Amino acid sequence: MKLGRQSFVSDRPVYLCSSYTIVGPKEGDGNFGELFDTVLKDDLWGERSYEKAESKMHREAIRGGICLAGRRLDEIDLMLAGDLLNELSASGLAMRYFKVPFAGLYNACSTFSEGILLGTALIDGGAANTVTCSTSSHFASAERQYRYPLELGNQRTPTSQWTVTGAGCSVLSSIRPTAEEDAVNRADFSEKMKSMRENCLECAKNEDSERKNGKGDEDAFPSTGMRWAERIKRKILKKLRPDSVADPVCDPNYKRSRVVRISGGTFGKVTDFGINDESNMGGAMAPAAADTLLAHLADTGRSVGDYDAIFTGDLGRFGSEAFEYIMKREGVTFPGNHLDCGALFYKPEQETFQGGSGAGCVNTVFNSYIVKRLESGEWKRVLVLATGALLNKDTPLQKETIPGVSHAFVAESEPL
Amino acid sequence: MLDKSDYREYVAKNAPRSPMLRSLVAAFVVGGLICCIGEGIKDAVSAIFPSMTEEDAGAWTTIILIFIGSFLTAIGVYDKIGRFAGGGSMIPITGFANSVVSPALEYNREGVFFGICAKMFVIAGPIIVFGVVAGILAGTVGLFV
Repeated sequence: MKLGRQSFVSDRPVYLCSSYTIVGPKEGDGNFGELFDTVLKDDLWGERSYEKAESKMHREAIRGGICLAGRRLDEIDLMLAGDLLNELSASGLAMRYFKVPFAGLYNACSTFSEGILLGTALIDGGAANTVTCSTSSHFASAERQYRYPLELGNQRTPTSQWTVTGAGCSVLSSIRPTAEEDAVNRADFSEKMKSMRENCLECAKNEDSERKNGKGDEDAFPSTGMRWAERIKRKILKKLRPDSVADPVCDPNYKRSRVVRISGGTFGKVTDFGINDESNMGGAMAPAAADTLLAHLADTGRSVGDYDAIFTGDLGRFGSEAFEYIMKREGVTFPGNHLDCGALFYKPEQETFQGGSGAGCVNTVFNSYIVKRLESGEWKRVLVLATGALLNKDTPLQKETIPGVSHAFVAESEPL
Repeated sequence: MLDKSDYREYVAKNAPRSPMLRSLVAAFVVGGLICCIGEGIKDAVSAIFPSMTEEDAGAWTTIILIFIGSFLTAIGVYDKIGRFAGGGSMIPITGFANSVVSPALEYNREGVFFGICAKMFVIAGPIIVFGVVAGILAGTVGLFV
């Protein structure tokens, strides 16, 4: 049901059936390290390029989410996915493995909350019963697309952020998950993943690639003609460093006592305050987050104190300050419940300056840290305001300023 | 909502800035060190090949420094030096080597032709263009003076 100018509340309950995260090694060393499902030992994950590695992370995260939810692929009505690469290539390439309708989304780093909002609205309206919302980002592929080559010896400015290497998937459904199902799904996780991988291979194979690459080699199948050197390299890697190409895992002992429900949210407007420094995206996105939060409070009639925590996406340390400054000027002060996913992501000694950013940042934090806190009952109601800076490499060169956008969704927990 | 120019002022005033003194000192020390190493190489070359002219020794020094810069880039050390030293390791010839080799490494995955060859000069391109233009201008002036 629409609420006010920009918001809606879901009339049907929309449950978060499962959430799954895969992150790179640096993220594993960060503040949320133990909460992620899979921490990779090597951010190439046995692939030939970082883009391919990101795509692999994306598809494995989706599979992980679906397996944890105990669904089959034909029970998924729609996949909402996005990433930061040009033309959504990481999601697009990942989708070849699923015979499931796909809607690609792009709102830079706020793509995840956009996906959650759209998924909730679709389920609420009855257009779908189960959807997956996934995003991914990879430090090395983002760096190369937006900035400089990795090995270039340049200095990062103190306002810069570090793109999170990570992918996450949330499975939303109108069907309520149960504790018994959870236990079974977690116990059978690796088996389910294996059979789903075979299923994916079955539906995506073509004879040509099978002849060239041998049967059952999923990583190789669509890229026509993997060279023999590559194949030998991968075999050596599998022998010598098996953990660098390890399969995704899940914690079989994790039990949730509550279930997370997405109860609505607020779509944000594009806000541009004329910041043109592309290395200070926190400053460019803070007004968008403030704009959306003000709209959310006005539409729902709530105050910031009604939430146990209000998470902004990846404003970073300075961006958070700027956000709180704007909110203060608007007469809203936080009772200490404003947190920023990006600013919290890494430890200070990891030298990321403002903290994490990227489409994978808010996604992996929500799907690990926030969801676990909601499921344990520590928090009852959380607002997640993912923020995105809508620029590409050329717009700052063409003297454009950086527009920001922010979408907010409300996650509540109720007894399982 | 807050006035846009007010906000821009706030950001300009409060955004964290690079620590000027630390950057300058690091750049000075590392840049000076690279130049010292260059001088050392030149002296060594002159000592090993006493018959070599000073010009030739200088050319060999440049070649050796470019090799060292490229090699350190390839094994992933130069970006760490650069992160510490900033301009100190960017301005000397080793920095130029780094700016050519790093895209070549990066775009290796798109193949030799459209990857390495096409993208090799994405960062060094302006330096080469300005170098060539300055060379033409200086040469033209030198022709008549």
